[in-house]
Formats: sequence, structure tokens, C-alpha cells
Amino acid sequence: MDNKKLLRDLSPVIALALIWGVFAALSPHFLTPRNLSMLMIELSTTALLALGMFMIILTGHIDLSVGSGVGLIGGVASVLITQHGWPAPAALLLAFLAAMVLWTAMGSVVVKQKMPSFIITLGGLLVFKGLFWLVIRNSTVPVAPGGSWNLYSLLTTYYLPHAAGYAGAVLCAAGFCWPRVLAYRRAAGARDAAVRERSFLECFVIAQALFLFVLLMNRFRGVPLPVVILGVSAVAVSVLTRRTRFGRYLYAIGGNEEAAVMSGVPVSRVIIGAYAIMGAIVALTGFMQTAYSGASTTTVGELMELDAVAACVIGGTSLKGGRGTALGVLFGALIMASLLNGMTLLAVAPEFKFIARGLVLSLAVWLDTRLSRT
Amino acid sequence: MNLEPVLRAEGITKRFPGVVALSGVTFDLAPGEIHALCGENGAGKSTLIKLLGGLHPHGSYEGELTVSGRPARFGSVADAEKAGIAVICQELALVPEMTAAENLFLGSEPTRLGLIDWDRVYAEAKALFERFGVRLDPRVRTSDLGTGQQQLIEILKALRKDSRVLILDEPTAALTETETAVLIGILKDLRARGISCVYISHRLEEVFALADRITVLRDGATVATLDRRATDIHAVICHMVGREIRDLFPRRASAPGRTLLRVSGLSAAAGGSTAAFLKGVSFEARAGEVLGFGGLMGAGRSELLMHLFGAWGRRLSGTVELLGLPLESVTPETALGRGLALVTEDRRRYGLVLEHPIGFNLSLSSLKKLGAGLLIDRRLEAEKNEEQARALRIKAAGLDVRVGGLSGGNQQKVVLGRVLMAEPSVIFLDEPTRGIDVGAKIEVYEIINSLTAAGKAVVLVSSELPELMGMSDRILMLHDGRIAGAFTKAEATQEGLLAAAMGHARN
Repeated sequence: MDNKKLLRDLSPVIALALIWGVFAALSPHFLTPRNLSMLMIELSTTALLALGMFMIILTGHIDLSVGSGVGLIGGVASVLITQHGWPAPAALLLAFLAAMVLWTAMGSVVVKQKMPSFIITLGGLLVFKGLFWLVIRNSTVPVAPGGSWNLYSLLTTYYLPHAAGYAGAVLCAAGFCWPRVLAYRRAAGARDAAVRERSFLECFVIAQALFLFVLLMNRFRGVPLPVVILGVSAVAVSVLTRRTRFGRYLYAIGGNEEAAVMSGVPVSRVIIGAYAIMGAIVALTGFMQTAYSGASTTTVGELMELDAVAACVIGGTSLKGGRGTALGVLFGALIMASLLNGMTLLAVAPEFKFIARGLVLSLAVWLDTRLSRT
Repeated sequence: MNLEPVLRAEGITKRFPGVVALSGVTFDLAPGEIHALCGENGAGKSTLIKLLGGLHPHGSYEGELTVSGRPARFGSVADAEKAGIAVICQELALVPEMTAAENLFLGSEPTRLGLIDWDRVYAEAKALFERFGVRLDPRVRTSDLGTGQQQLIEILKALRKDSRVLILDEPTAALTETETAVLIGILKDLRARGISCVYISHRLEEVFALADRITVLRDGATVATLDRRATDIHAVICHMVGREIRDLFPRRASAPGRTLLRVSGLSAAAGGSTAAFLKGVSFEARAGEVLGFGGLMGAGRSELLMHLFGAWGRRLSGTVELLGLPLESVTPETALGRGLALVTEDRRRYGLVLEHPIGFNLSLSSLKKLGAGLLIDRRLEAEKNEEQARALRIKAAGLDVRVGGLSGGNQQKVVLGRVLMAEPSVIFLDEPTRGIDVGAKIEVYEIINSLTAAGKAVVLVSSELPELMGMSDRILMLHDGRIAGAFTKAEATQEGLLAAAMGHARN
């Protein structure tokens, strides 16, 4: 039974290794620094959106409107900059605030009117899509006027200088290892050696991986800015879900909402809060996704909500709520992003891309339910 | 009873990985006998009835089952049903959206030309109801029936398959007093028709009202098989816990202090309704005192507690004062913050996040006190959890064990622990010992004693009169949303309390 559990916890890692192995064997370009750098930028948007979705799903709700939202919020910023001459920071800020207001409102409707989030956000999906097309008038609106650059376009074209990349890696490694060093000291003598050995090993592996990553990224242009945004967000979401009251309450609501109410959990505020954070994340993702395609076009953000849900589920988040981890979601997103990137590299026809993504998602959920049985 | 037993289990030993659930259990059931199975949680009752009902197939245990003298080797539930043995579980297996008759015939619908013969379904259902004197319309939707009536349909479903042995697991756990009486009547009627019954219940009064013989299991072994007429409740309890219990209700009264909760003229209606459900209720709960609330099911006991806690209904009139300050437009969150806590009667639904560990549940109501700002101080949390688990003697391998897997008694202690960690001054306990075994009950009573000794006010709601009389310092009886009688511990008698509960009180 413990083996089964271990297999379940490790299955995303195994799946990822398999996918990478297959693509590396089929395409000599898959593991090149250039492609991995692009994969990381693509991962950033998928994973960021999935992290927001993760917190919503933890409560047992869902948000189907985020894909349209990504298009809409990115579109609002593009139009303000290109057609109304706003400075990029002001346009981004306004679009960001608009997203937070919209999502807070949606969360309030879900909670106060007791409407199923599936329906409300399905409505959101359609309404935001329509608004998006209205805003950009079904045309292509670039993120920066003709060939110039601004804060918006830099989002996915800026790379950290090599030295800054290494400095960042050192900082991250220190941030990861410091609490373990403290725990190591506290545990000295008292706890068994196995715990200490494990925490040492964790520090070692993480530090190595960070340096390897920066080394690899620096062989192309450096660490892409979206990766930094994702990294900061991922740490924030991880801390939020594991270490704060808000996070505890997310799990409690998803686990048993009635018991959460009776335990004094401010259920409404927590769910609205999760949607408000989702709004902020939709805005960030919208900016990055639009910047990555260079302009707002009618297809930006399309089906991204499904990739986000898929990433959560593949990463072990239960759609009923109450179960999942941020790290798992990152892995799930990496699997979805790798799959798409690899198939694009192999010039797989779009028809088969859809089919393959669908099959992988179904397979992952099937495996999870099989391995969850005790 | 020298008839050949209709069902006999001899020298049954059942092992699970790491545990022996049953060791050498012997049990027999005479035709037309009601045989009660008693024991604490984990004594092996469920394993035994699963085995009798074919859920643990032949070959997975040692020992022998015989049905009417012939060896029986059940490979599945279907085999046991064929032999005339039906198990009716605590959780009902009915489809709420179907009619009574549809549920009766679910899975074995009579057909004609491949289509369901509805006329026959309803005709046969009607005949079955008449045969057992059940006054029910077979076309009524199951979800419109009360729990007791649904239970009857389960039983009839078994009888329809010509079962000679009914095995009932806690059939009255969710029934009202009236429904329980009806069920007991029907079981007695079935006994007269020669149908045997294995009956499991934590309510010993019920067992003594019904059973011919009582078999007590403890730690997977048969401790005693007693003739009901030759024994008493006390003896059965001693067999169950394996030691002499001197005092079932170890209440240690302390001098009541100042009033902590004052309710005056409280009327409240269910959400969406305008008619008052609670009508002019006034009472005071004082420090160091247990105030008992009794009454029949539906009299408004739970609703009163839930309303004061901010989880039920709408206030129409009246005032509530907690620690001298008015308590208005309250929610569970603010109630807990103000020092008022509630342990609900349905702990699995309202009390616990079952899929999460003990520690997660213990600290859930007091996270605000465990750390500054947004972050939770996990070391402080672990310390407080350990402390609480030790104080309440929660038995588990560790605090990271899933709550859902614990016994009823331990689950109840986790709910109590969660509530107590919030450091309330007034504690509402709604049926705190429902469905937990005798040993755990006494531990809950000891917790109540320590609470009042620490100057807290306890409001106890209980359907069991002996418990209410044994543990309360004062008792208020509710009838139809009103207080229909007030008793001191000395004045309270079963007859007096019951009369008040029925609305016939003099005082």
C-alpha cells in the first residue's frame, strides 16, 4: 500500500521523464538550450494560470472563464497602449485592477447567490470572449506600437543578464536551504539521522538543479523574465497554501464545507479571496501570453482554462477539493507544456495535438484513481 | 430453545494484515429469535456480520458457518442472500428519487417482453406492505419518506427475497423515538412469524426491550452469551468494557458561578419561513454548571443551539447576552471568537474534515491564535495539538493520521479538542455521546467535569434520559419549540421529564 502511494506521488515525475525521453529521442532539437528556453516561457503562462486554478479547485469550485480572461485582459492593455497612446505601465495597471474587480465580482456571485461556479464561470467564458473581440474589434492589436519596445513587450523578451541569473540561483538556494539548516540544528541529536540526511540531500539536489538550470538558460540568452515571474508566484502560492490560515481554510472548505462553516472558517471571504487572486493571476498570465504572441489576436488564451485544469489534475489535485499541492501543479503544467512544445517541434498536425493532450489527461486521471484506491 | 439453530458460527477467526479481528468466535441464532450483538467499537461486531452476510468470503477466515445444520460457504453477498440471510447496513442503500416500490424491486424488476411490468411491481409492493401491516403508498417518492420509513423499505426489500435471517446494524441510530417504537414492533411481529434477527445497537435500553439473548464481543472474542431475562444492563456493560464500572455518569457538581449566557424571550424561524419554530425561550447558563436540554426529536433542541451559534434560522424576537454583552447577527466565526462553541450532533457532516489528519482538524478553529499575521506558527501548532490530544487521550498512531479512519469515540474527541482549543467559555454539546462506546462515553463525561471545574458553562442536549439526568445539574425540557418544564437534578424523574417532553407538564 505504501508502494502504491509512493508510485502515485512519483507518477508525475515518471511521466515527465518518459515524455522528455521520447521527444529527445525523436528530435535532436528538443533538449537544446534554445528550445528549453522557449519551453520555459510557455511553461510560465500555463503554470501560472494553473497555480491560480489550483487554489480555486482546492475549495471544490472551478473557473472556466480564465482562458477568455487571459485574452480580454491582455487585449485591454494592448488597445490602451496601441490605440489610445497610454504609457505601458499605466495600461497594465488598469487592466490588472479591472481583472481583480471582475474576478472578485464573480467570486461574490458564486458565494452570495449560491450559484454553481461551473455555470457562473461558463457564463464568464462566453461573456469575456465576446468582450475581448469587441475590445480588439476582431483585429490584431500589437502590444507595442510598430517595432518599438515597452514594459509590455519586454515581459517575454527580456532575459536576465548571466551574472544576475547566477546571483538569483544563489539567493534561491540559500532561501531553500536556510530553514533546513535551522531545522537541522534543532534536530541535532534529538531526531534520527535519517531526517538530517534527507534534508541535506534535498538542499544538495535543489542547489545543483538551480545552477544547472541557470547554466543551461545562459547558454541561450539567459533566464527569461517569465520564469522569474513564475518562480516568485509559485513560491508565493506554495507558502500561501501550506503556511497561512487562508491556505488551511482552502483545504478545509474543499474537504468539508459544512464542517468548515461550523468550525468558524470565514468560508465566503476565503472563496472570494481565491477568486480575487485568480483575477490577479489571469491578468499576469494575460500580459505574458499576449506579449509572447506579440499582439492580441482573437485566439489568445483560447482553451487555456482546460490546460490549467488539466495541469492541476495531473499534478494530483482532486476536483472535489481538499487535496493537492502547488509543487504537483507545477509538474502537471510542465507535463502539459512539454507535450505541446515537443509536438510543435515534431510538426505534429494540430488535430493530433488535441487528441494527444486529451489522452494524456484521461490517462493521468485514470492512473490517479487507480493508485488512490486502497 | 432446543431447535436447530438457523445460523451458527463456530470457532471463527478472521485476520487482517497486522490484526486479528475475530478469534474463535462462536455465535448461534435460533429460529424466531432476536439475538443482540453488543460490544465497544472495534470489538469485532462489524467483521462478524460482514462474515455472516458473505462480505468476507469463505476461505478468508477460519472456522465454520452452518445454516440450518448444513455447512455454508458463502463466496459473495449473493450466496448469503440465497441462503436467506440479509444484512441491512447503517447507511441506507435506497435511491432517493425512486418510488418506494421501485426501490423494493431495484435490480430484480419483473419484466414482460423485455419491458418492466410496472403493474406487477406496484401490485406486489402493495401486497407486501399489506402482509406486514405497513401503511405506505408504494408510489410515494422515497426522499419524501422519513428515515424510519426508509428503514422499513430496506427491511421489506430483504423480506421480499424470502430472507429467514435479518442482520440489522445500528438500525435506530437515525430514528426518532416514535420510529424506533414502530421498528421494534415490526421486528417483534417478524419474530412471531419465525424470522430471526441479529440486532446491533449501542442503545442498551433498546436491546433489553427487544432481544431474547445477548452476545457480548470484546477484542474479537465472545465474552458471554446471556439470556436477557437473567441479566441486566449493568452486567452487559461490565462484559463490554471488561472491568467493573462503578459509576456510569460520574458527574462531579461544582458550585455554579456567574451567568455566562442569558437568553430571554427568544423566538426564531427556519430560514424562508415566517412561523416561529422556537417560541419565547428563556434560560441562563452559569459558570461551572451543566444545563441539560431534553425533549423529543423535532422539539427544537438542536435548532436552539444552532441558532445561538449563528448556524440556523432567523431571529424574530428576544435577546441573547454572552458574558454580559449582547450577541446579535452572529455567525459561527464570530460566536467562536466571542467564546461560544458548539459540538454538533452529526460529527462526520458538521464536525470534521474527514480526509485530513487529526492535527489539521484540531487546530482548525483556533488558527488565529497560532501565529502572528498571515503565517501559521507550525511549531506552536504542533505543540498545542499534542497537548490537546494528550489531554483528551485521543488514541492514534500520530496526529498525521486521517480523522476519517478513527473510531467514533476518537472522532468525537477530535471534535471536542478542536472546540476546546478555541478556549470557549460556553460550550454547547449536542448529543456528544451518540454512536460511541461505553468506555469513550465515560471519557466524554470526565471531559465535561473538567470543563465545569474550570469555570466553563456546558449546555448538554441528549435524547437519552439516563444521560441527561446523570450529567445535568439542571434540566430544561423542550416541547414544540417552548420550554415545557424545568427541573433540578433532585427533582428529575424519567416520568416527569417524559411528561414535560410530551407537553403534559404541571410546572
